[in-house]
Order: sequence, then C-alpha cells, then structure tokens
Amino acid sequence: MQKPWLAQYPPAVPAEIDFGPLASLKDVLDASCARFAERPAFNSMGTVMTFRQLDDASRAFAAWLQKVAGLKRGDRVALMMPNLLQYPVAMFGALRAGMVVVNVNPLYTPRELEHQLNDSGAVAIVVLENFAHTLEQVIRTTRLRVVVTTQVGDLLPPVKRLLTNAVVKYVKKMVPPWRLEGAIGFNRALAAGRARSLDEPTLTRADLAFLQYTGGTTGVAKGAMLSHGNMLANVLQVAAWMSPNLRDGVETVVIPLPLYHVFALTGCLSFFSKGAQAVLVANPRDLPAFIKTLREEPFSAIIGVNTLFRALLEASDSGTVDWSRLKLAVAGGMAVQHVVAHRWKQMTGVPLVEGYGLTESAPVAIANPVTIDEWSGQIGVPLPSTDAAILDDDGRPVALGEVGEISLRGPQVMRGYWNRPEETAHVFTADGWLRTGDMGVMDDRGSIRITDRKKDMIVVSGFKVFPNEIEDVLTMHSGVLEAAAIGVHDDRSGETVKVVVVRKDPALSESELLAHCKQHLTGYKMPRIVEFRDEPLPKTNIGKILRRELRDGGTAASAAPAPADRG
Amino acid sequence: MARPTAAYRPRRLQLRDGREATLRAIDPTDAPEIAQAFERLTSESRYSRFMQHKRQLDPAALDRGVHPRPGRDFAFVATIPVDDGIDIVGAAQYVRALEDDPTTCEFAITVAEDWRGSGLARQLLASLVRRARRDGYTRMEGSVIAGNSKMLALARKLGFKAHAEADDAGVVRVERAL
Repeated sequence: MQKPWLAQYPPAVPAEIDFGPLASLKDVLDASCARFAERPAFNSMGTVMTFRQLDDASRAFAAWLQKVAGLKRGDRVALMMPNLLQYPVAMFGALRAGMVVVNVNPLYTPRELEHQLNDSGAVAIVVLENFAHTLEQVIRTTRLRVVVTTQVGDLLPPVKRLLTNAVVKYVKKMVPPWRLEGAIGFNRALAAGRARSLDEPTLTRADLAFLQYTGGTTGVAKGAMLSHGNMLANVLQVAAWMSPNLRDGVETVVIPLPLYHVFALTGCLSFFSKGAQAVLVANPRDLPAFIKTLREEPFSAIIGVNTLFRALLEASDSGTVDWSRLKLAVAGGMAVQHVVAHRWKQMTGVPLVEGYGLTESAPVAIANPVTIDEWSGQIGVPLPSTDAAILDDDGRPVALGEVGEISLRGPQVMRGYWNRPEETAHVFTADGWLRTGDMGVMDDRGSIRITDRKKDMIVVSGFKVFPNEIEDVLTMHSGVLEAAAIGVHDDRSGETVKVVVVRKDPALSESELLAHCKQHLTGYKMPRIVEFRDEPLPKTNIGKILRRELRDGGTAASAAPAPADRG
Repeated sequence: MARPTAAYRPRRLQLRDGREATLRAIDPTDAPEIAQAFERLTSESRYSRFMQHKRQLDPAALDRGVHPRPGRDFAFVATIPVDDGIDIVGAAQYVRALEDDPTTCEFAITVAEDWRGSGLARQLLASLVRRARRDGYTRMEGSVIAGNSKMLALARKLGFKAHAEADDAGVVRVERAL
C-alpha cells in the first residue's frame, strides 16, 4: 500500500513505530518510573506525585485489589472520578494487577451508570464520594462486590488533605449524603495493600486494558475493547509524533480534559512515557481556578478541545498567563473553528495542532505534524504504522480527491465491541478497515479533510450524543407523544442538542420536561433548545420520521436557548 | 396506468431454517394481531420501522395500515398458526410515496425478532416488488437507518441502489426501478 503522507513527516518521526521490549502499559509504567524516578509525574492542586511515588502507590493498590479484594486477572474495575491524583494510582494499579479498567463519567445519571456497570460486568469500582449517591441508587442491580470510595484531597499532604476534604464536604457541600454497605476508603486500601506483595502478571499486547464506552446509534453505549497492544501502540505513535517539539524528562503538560475520556487518557499516557509532568485540572469549567493553575505551573504543552480553547481565549484574564514556554497545543475531539485557531496563535504564538481519532482507535489515528506554523484546517495525515483510506459504501477505495468514508487500519484499532459481535461486524469492512462514520477527502500528499458525517450523531464539546438515546428519554415521559433530537450549530460547543416535541399532555412545560431529562441524561447530553409543536412530526407516507425537515424548519427557532444550566 | 389489481391468493412460504409461514394480503380484521405483534417488538426494531421511539401504535395509523387503498397501497402479512388463532411474524407494505406521483411507491418491512435470519424479509421484499409492478409503479424506494446493515444488504441483493440522504446522516435511501 502506498503512503503518500510519509513525505510530510518531520525527519524525527519514523514511518513505523518500534515496540522494542514493551508489551503492555505496565511496561510503559515500569520504564518511565525507572528512568524518571524523582521527576514529578502528576501534579494536582499544587501537590506533586513523583514517578517513584506513583510506582509505590499503584503497586500498593494493585496488591490490595489482588490480595485483599480478591480480584482476578481480567476482572473489570470501574473508575468514577474527575482528574485527581487517585486516578493514575487506581488506573495503573488495576492495569498492573492484570485487570481491565472501565472509565465512567462521574456526572452520569443512575440510568447511564447502571447500563455501563452491567454491560461491562464490573465487579469493583473506585468512586469519588461526591458521586457515591449516584452509585447507591443502582448498586443492587449490578455485579459490584468491591467499592472503594475516595475524597478529593485523599492523596494531598496531611494538613491540606483534611482541609480540602472538609471544605468540599462542609463548606462547598459538594458531597450529597450516601450509604454504601462494605465500602472501604481509598487510603485504607492503599495502606492494606502496602503490607501485601503483588504477584505481577506477565501481560501481553493481547491482554485487554480498557473497556472504553462510546455512544451507539441504537441509543445504548457500547464498550470498545482496547487491549494493552492498542493502547501501547497509540502511546508510542503519539509520543513519536510529538518528539520533534518535546524533550524527554523536562516537559510539563496541562491536562484539563477528563482522563475518563480516551483522548485525554492516551494523550496523558504519551506524555507520561516521555517523562513529562502532567498537571491535572479537575474542573476546567471553573475558569478562574483553571487560569490560576496555568499561572502557577510553568507549562510547555496543553491538550484540549475547541470549546476549551475558546473559553480560554474569551476569559478576561487569559492575558495574565505566561505562554512563553508553550511548545505544543494539541486539539482533538471535535472540529477546531477557524476563528479559535487564529486567535489562539495570536495569543500564544503557537498553532493549534489538530488530530483526529475515535474511541475505537485508542484514539489518535490522524494528526497534523507538530512542526506546522499555522493551523491547517485539515485533520492531518495518518500517524506512523497507520493506514487511512477513503472508501465507498461497498468498502472500495474512491479515486483521489473524491469524498468517501474515512477508514482506518493500524495497531491502535480495537478488537471489537464488548459482547456485541453484530455491531463489531458492522463497523469493520471485509478487509478489516475500521469505518469511522466520517466522510472526507484525501489529497495527493495524503492530507485528509473531513467533509461530513455519516452517522446520525451530535458532537457537543467533543462528546458524542446520539439522538436515539435522547428521544428514548423524552418519550419515557408520559406527557410526550413524539420527540426527535437534532444537532444545531453552537458557537461555544460546536453543536448542541435541540429537541422537537409533540405533547400528549398540553400542560407539559419546558422546565418539567428538562427536569425529567436531567434525571436520566448527563450534562453534555441535555437538550439546550426545546421546541413544542402542535402538529405531528413530519413523516414519509409510510410513517418514517423526516429528520431533515426538522432541521430545515428548525434553524429559525434555535435562537432562544433553553434555560438549562450548562452541565 | 395504475388500476386495482386482483386479490392476492395466500401462499405457503418455506423458509431457510425449515419453518413455514403463510403469506397473504392484510385484512381489516388483522388490526388486533398487528397491535400485538407491535407489542412484541423490541424498541430497536420499532425504531428501525418508524425512526423514532414509539411506545404505542397510533390507532389512526393502524387503521390506515389495515385498509390499503386498492391499486395504490398494499400490505402483506406473514402469519403462523398458534393456539388462539394466528400470530403475525412479519409485515411488509408499500404506499404511494407522493400522492400526486403515480410512478413511485415507498416500502417498509418488519420481521419479528425470532424470525430474523430465516429469509422471511427477503421473501417479503421480493413479493412487494412483484406486487408493486402489477399496481403500475415503476419505482420503489425506502428509507433505512444507516446502521441497519442487514436491511441494507438485503436491499442491495434485490437490486436496490443505496445513497446517503442529504442533510440526514442517519438515514440511507434505497431505490430501484420496477
């Protein structure tokens, strides 16, 4: 197969990645901890955890999972927390004991959480106390038998820990009351684990590392099976890709995207493999606190999505941040807007380097070279050891310059969806290409540009929302006769969810319907625009709904956003 | 041009998996059985048929469905005998796509979950094609959820061409000349 894009690779980037002696993410952990031992690995709320400390703590947690909790290799361990020091400890702990990590969005509603826990068959969970009340509502119908709870400040130094935990609980009142039978505190588990010795399993590239959940067109989230080989490949690919701009063991990267999202996860692990310090931002929506962090921690790289870069540009005090050390700003998850790219370069002097991928490809498959001077408006070229092709509906390559479905092959591409052979078969072509659902064109140099989307999907600030799920929740309400969800343009989040509803109960109000949605949908899925209609939704003569007519007729009404808070 | 066609004589269908069903024209007395068959469908199947979540069958639509207008619309049901009469395990219909255009009809097919993979959908669609031709239609079209790979594959096998629907990424339009 020809790879015209190789000519665009900077000299330092190889055409193929070399796994060398590495077989798993555990080997990445071991290598980085040996090489960068006393360097800071993670930094959260001003507290540093060195590579050595992470090695010790994750080993203790692994030993606890294995020897005290009695978990076996291959058991699924759910992690439900924002970006805190506990995340890398629990994640590496579970992985080095041979378990499979299931990342859970901590803002999930009980309905969403229950589905993910049951679909993955998770037997253990590490949950931040702030979200324990959600777990409490569904735990009886899950297979969970091990619950570890943690407080925000658990891994901070003693005085700061007590203070932080007290403020979160009693001053900010961010911990709704909860009760979980038999739950153990994170620090108690670590202490018990330190007294045990871990039997480290030998992991191979075939071993499963993550069940990473992603929405489905049928309305239920499905788990992409990402093996150690998939994750390791993408970590090495991304690390190699960034190498022209970064030096080993000296960089600091800001991670304001949640690590439960695959883009932040793999991005963070790639920096980790190069000995960088990762500054974790738990809540980037708290812009003043985020900007304070940027001012206090000299940083050389940042990853984000368009929405976040835009928010930084619009913040009044972003000019007080010292951008002079910045060498690399990576954007993914959603399309970057031209105006954002332009103003970002003006403010920081560094272009936004846009990349592209899917949960199913661990995720990065295509990216702009990090040596570009200006944002390109394209998603870039395939990474080392990655093939991309533009295919027609029958899985055959289209002619150069013609539009088709962007399709991927490479060592980072998943094995399939957990327990869903039919959906797995559907997402791969007969030749083993992963169909992305995005339409695009490739030019003669191998650069790819997205033109359209094939799947019926709404992308809100980089999170995928499937109309089917929203409509399912809407029609659960007894006052709703018909409902359809569509994506409409939004300057801030790229797209936002609009719903068109025909009422059965004429008294049903917008606020009542949104309150119902809030019980069942996490923030980014929430409808922002509600349009009530008296006439039935437009349909073909045989009774199939005509979504495109909703779109045509809906743009005028989209000016007035729903009074829902931004979740 | 279109003229009312002769009544359809019921036919035994021999399916790939050895099971049998009866294929016949829909009858107004089928309404309760159609409603029951709808109740048995999973929400996913209902979504494929209506492209929205339907908790109940709309009575007016059901009434229209069991009263096809001769020469314009047609509906088949596939039935099996059960203790209390019959069960409907599959249904297929076409209607005039646009009221003022006598050349084109739109089709839809639904098969009960446990009758998937038996070849029933293929027999239903093939029968629809033949019948629509007799009704004077020269084109048949349908909308399929983009993720419904089995239906898309079946349509292709029976000579339909598929193309993406403009402005609606979730739907594929299939069509063929009759």
